[in-house]
Amino acid sequence: MSQAGSKKSTSSKLNTKAGISSLLIFVILLLACIAGFSSRLFAVIRFESIIHEFDPWFNYRSTAYMVKHGFYNFLNWFDERAWYPLGRIVGGTVYPGLMITSGSIHYLLHLLHINVHIRDICVFLAPVFSGLTSISTYYLTKELWSAGAGLFAACFIAIVPGYISRSVAGSYDNEGIAIFALQFTYFLWIRSVKTGSVFWAVAAALSYFYMVSAWGGYVFIINLIPLHVFVLLLMGRFSNRLFTSYTTFYILGLILSMQIPFVGFQPIRTSEHMAASGVFALMFAVATLKYLQSMMSKSEFKSLVIYGGLAAAAVVFGAVVLLTYAGYVAPWSGRFYSLWDTGYAKIHIPIIASVSEHQPTTWFSFFFDLHVLVATFPAGLWYCIKNINDERVFVVLYALSAVYFAGVMVRLMLTLTPVVCILSGIAFSGLLELFLREEVAKPEENEAEEEHTTPKNRKYDKVGRVPKMKHELNKDPDGIGANIRMIITVMILLLLMLFAVHCTWVTSNAYSSPSVVLASYSGDGTRQILDDFREAYFWLSQNTADEARVMSWWDYGYQIAGMANRTTLVDNNTWNNSHIALVGKAMSSNESAAYNIMTALDVDYVLVIFGGVIGYSGDDINKFLWMVRIAEGEHPKDIKESNYFTQQGEFRIDAEGSPTLLNCLMYKLSYYRFGELKLDYRSPAGFDRTRNAVIGNKDFQLTYLEEAYTTEHWLVRIYRVKKPDEFNRPRIPVANRLVKSPNFVSKKSTKRKREL
Amino acid sequence: MKKFTLCVISILAIYMGLAGGQSRKPGLTLVERTQHLTDMYRNKAVLRFNSNKFKDYVKGTPRNYSMIVMFTALAPQRQCLICRHASDEYQIVSNSFKQTQGSSKKLYFAMVDFDEGSDVFQMMRLNTAPVFMHFPPKGKPQRADTMDISRVGVSAEEIAKWIVDRTDVQIHVMRPPNYLGTVAAIVLFGLVAGFLYLRRNNLDFLYNKSMWGMTAVFFCLTMISGQMWNHIRGPPFLHQGQNGQIAYIHGSSQGQFVVETYIIMVLNAAVVIGIILLTEAAKGKKDSKQTKIMAVTGLILVSVFFSLLLSIFRMKTQGYPYRLLFV
Repeated sequence: MSQAGSKKSTSSKLNTKAGISSLLIFVILLLACIAGFSSRLFAVIRFESIIHEFDPWFNYRSTAYMVKHGFYNFLNWFDERAWYPLGRIVGGTVYPGLMITSGSIHYLLHLLHINVHIRDICVFLAPVFSGLTSISTYYLTKELWSAGAGLFAACFIAIVPGYISRSVAGSYDNEGIAIFALQFTYFLWIRSVKTGSVFWAVAAALSYFYMVSAWGGYVFIINLIPLHVFVLLLMGRFSNRLFTSYTTFYILGLILSMQIPFVGFQPIRTSEHMAASGVFALMFAVATLKYLQSMMSKSEFKSLVIYGGLAAAAVVFGAVVLLTYAGYVAPWSGRFYSLWDTGYAKIHIPIIASVSEHQPTTWFSFFFDLHVLVATFPAGLWYCIKNINDERVFVVLYALSAVYFAGVMVRLMLTLTPVVCILSGIAFSGLLELFLREEVAKPEENEAEEEHTTPKNRKYDKVGRVPKMKHELNKDPDGIGANIRMIITVMILLLLMLFAVHCTWVTSNAYSSPSVVLASYSGDGTRQILDDFREAYFWLSQNTADEARVMSWWDYGYQIAGMANRTTLVDNNTWNNSHIALVGKAMSSNESAAYNIMTALDVDYVLVIFGGVIGYSGDDINKFLWMVRIAEGEHPKDIKESNYFTQQGEFRIDAEGSPTLLNCLMYKLSYYRFGELKLDYRSPAGFDRTRNAVIGNKDFQLTYLEEAYTTEHWLVRIYRVKKPDEFNRPRIPVANRLVKSPNFVSKKSTKRKREL
Repeated sequence: MKKFTLCVISILAIYMGLAGGQSRKPGLTLVERTQHLTDMYRNKAVLRFNSNKFKDYVKGTPRNYSMIVMFTALAPQRQCLICRHASDEYQIVSNSFKQTQGSSKKLYFAMVDFDEGSDVFQMMRLNTAPVFMHFPPKGKPQRADTMDISRVGVSAEEIAKWIVDRTDVQIHVMRPPNYLGTVAAIVLFGLVAGFLYLRRNNLDFLYNKSMWGMTAVFFCLTMISGQMWNHIRGPPFLHQGQNGQIAYIHGSSQGQFVVETYIIMVLNAAVVIGIILLTEAAKGKKDSKQTKIMAVTGLILVSVFFSLLLSIFRMKTQGYPYRLLFV
């Protein structure tokens, strides 16, 4: 905005103006960072400085390992406590960027004798990086449009829920730092396309390297940038600048990305990366043609283009097909494939389909995460296309691809959010720039003053740069009329304010729950903390043998490893489907069949999550059908999904439920002794609050397991698997009996061990 | 889980008089039975049974073959849409079976139409159609021998899966290849190529930014209104309640109706147009009156339609406190 009138001013005025505007930019960005940081602290203030959810626990555990044992030991770390009995090579199967980032911050702070615990660094890493994200968004938008739009975009991205959902304090996950890396790489790439300098291209490649080390979503960059180049070539916008920046970026980026152990040789062997090399080859072909064009006659050149082009296309196509058949180039992996063929995952890979993040996106989620931005960013897109140039081609492609991916998968809303902020920033700054325009005749000082008031405003609404209306009484310059002008401005400000309050509301209500600690509110507003998860994990860590193996559904694997430090069978790194299916089979078989699986897997304890007492809906019974489905995929002879439904095709846990369900291990472990429990005077005994039904199988004993621990609100129940000599085995015919030692004592007992 | 509306047939009305039937000859031997079946099977993949044949080949003992029977009502006056669909899928399965392992003599596919064998329906106590049942070589059909189509649907793959389940006969479903998509793609491609070739001297329209802009904005609007969700999940167009009231908006935040997404798309489009109008008005290239109209229209579009959007959002969220113009 501030550049508008500056051309006419004298050089001294220019200096002061430039000084003021850069001060303003600095202050606004600083405030955006602070606003972004503080709105991510809800969970810390309400609960405590704690790592959230599931994956962050693994990241935290590996970071702690790295800090303790050093970087090289971390890279060579073989974790024998996960995926028992297979184990997991952690160093080679993680993106280490996150751990390295917080590890180096830890190292730096300790060098300065600031003794911060590594957990606090992990908790606050994502909010800090959100500040960096908003700064890099400012620079990216500035390259694309103007500084004003950049400030808008920076403020938007600081508080937009679509990004906050992955970066609240405590959500220590790859995405938290990856969005910064993404935006920064794009900024450097745009800069290098604009300047054609090797320096910026190298910087982009380095930033890309950081992104590769941080998140699997780097594939988005390595496809989007070649797409940008390709479309520029199609539009006839080839230039030497483009040639320099892309070739430099591609070669360096390729070599650097292959340094990450987890990525390895994928960039030259998998289909996801092939587009980049194809465009690289095409770039050289086009450059050669351009060169030849200057030396040949027109007709010669024409025939060369046609025949050469066809031959080259055939050769490339043949080579790719051949390499794929020979096995050098792997076809698309399931997760990527399901982005294109949208029905694929549903039919073929239940483990992908079962994750709620992999569901398609309703309009509700779009609006929930982006609010006013969702309705305004197409306008920004429109203006970018109307005033197209090399770098705006990029943002258009970014928007179109990201909006498609976000439609297919909820979790990819995260990649859409930055571009929506950029485009909405462009739309809003375009509007306000025009509606707050000073009369042309007015001297410059006014504008500077007006700008100056903005930081103060920001304290209250935190939305964007919304200068005060100062010219309500001014004569209108272009015929809209001062009143309408004012109404429109007020309306725009209102929209921005609504956006700000919406963001805060959503952040506070939807995205600030650690999900390790739950809170419930009673009628008079007092809060009750349900700390059952940590209670159970702490019990495990204190009362079980160090090498005890705990079986649970894979959702809780990381938490058990992180908090209880016990060996798990499956965890959230779902790399081995058949192992997960085996656990699913154990959970959905009857007790004796399950016992065989559990002895084969050396299970000592079984942990189930049961929400029937407090009405927690995310418990294992509600997830149970996915266990059945995944087990059925691997063991179709033994497990059949239809057996778990009633004749009417309903999934019921009450007396009318299918007998297979009422006798499977998961059901028994969840409802063991629940039939005796009367929750309150109105409901009968054994009333499940989550599913609003009285359970169908109330009175049963466990033969092969015994209850070891149940938490205060029954949320987590832990069972010990009995050793073969501990339970009354099924009757053996007299002829087959062997003489036993006379002092055999049955230890069967259902006594609760709460007092431990 | 798809719910199918099963066609309910009023059996009693039609049943009159059929019960008497003609006197049946004594039961066939196993050899005869297999011989007849094989003869019939040579011509058709799905054997069409009336009540006598049904009693002979399906209920008659002894048997050494499994029988899959579809009970259906294909006559047009029964108006059973799902029956026709199910029958097509059933034909696909049986044809696949016949082509790959037709001479196995272990499994036969049959169907009974209600209008040809209503007493069979009576006998089996069926009052809905279609029903798929498996008759094992020995013993009576169990509960699981009736396919649960209300839960899994009637697609050929599901039928084949169910058959594997019941009989251990693996059927690789071979759908007759659908050339429609390929043909359509080729035709479309040809049309575009031909169009470009005809207009090769005047390709200005490719440089028309408004066209590209509108396409891009339209694409964004489709995605943000959740059309992809519709494509993957296939929700109903709208919901008709028990007592006739029609719901256009899905009550929960987890779901949506097709018509709802169209409404959202229009609302979003109106806001976008409003913002573009406002910006164009403020640029003020046209005369004063026209700019004023543009500005006011833009203002109304943005404020009214965004408020509507917010209201619909509020309807779907419990306890959402903010609103703009409307409740």
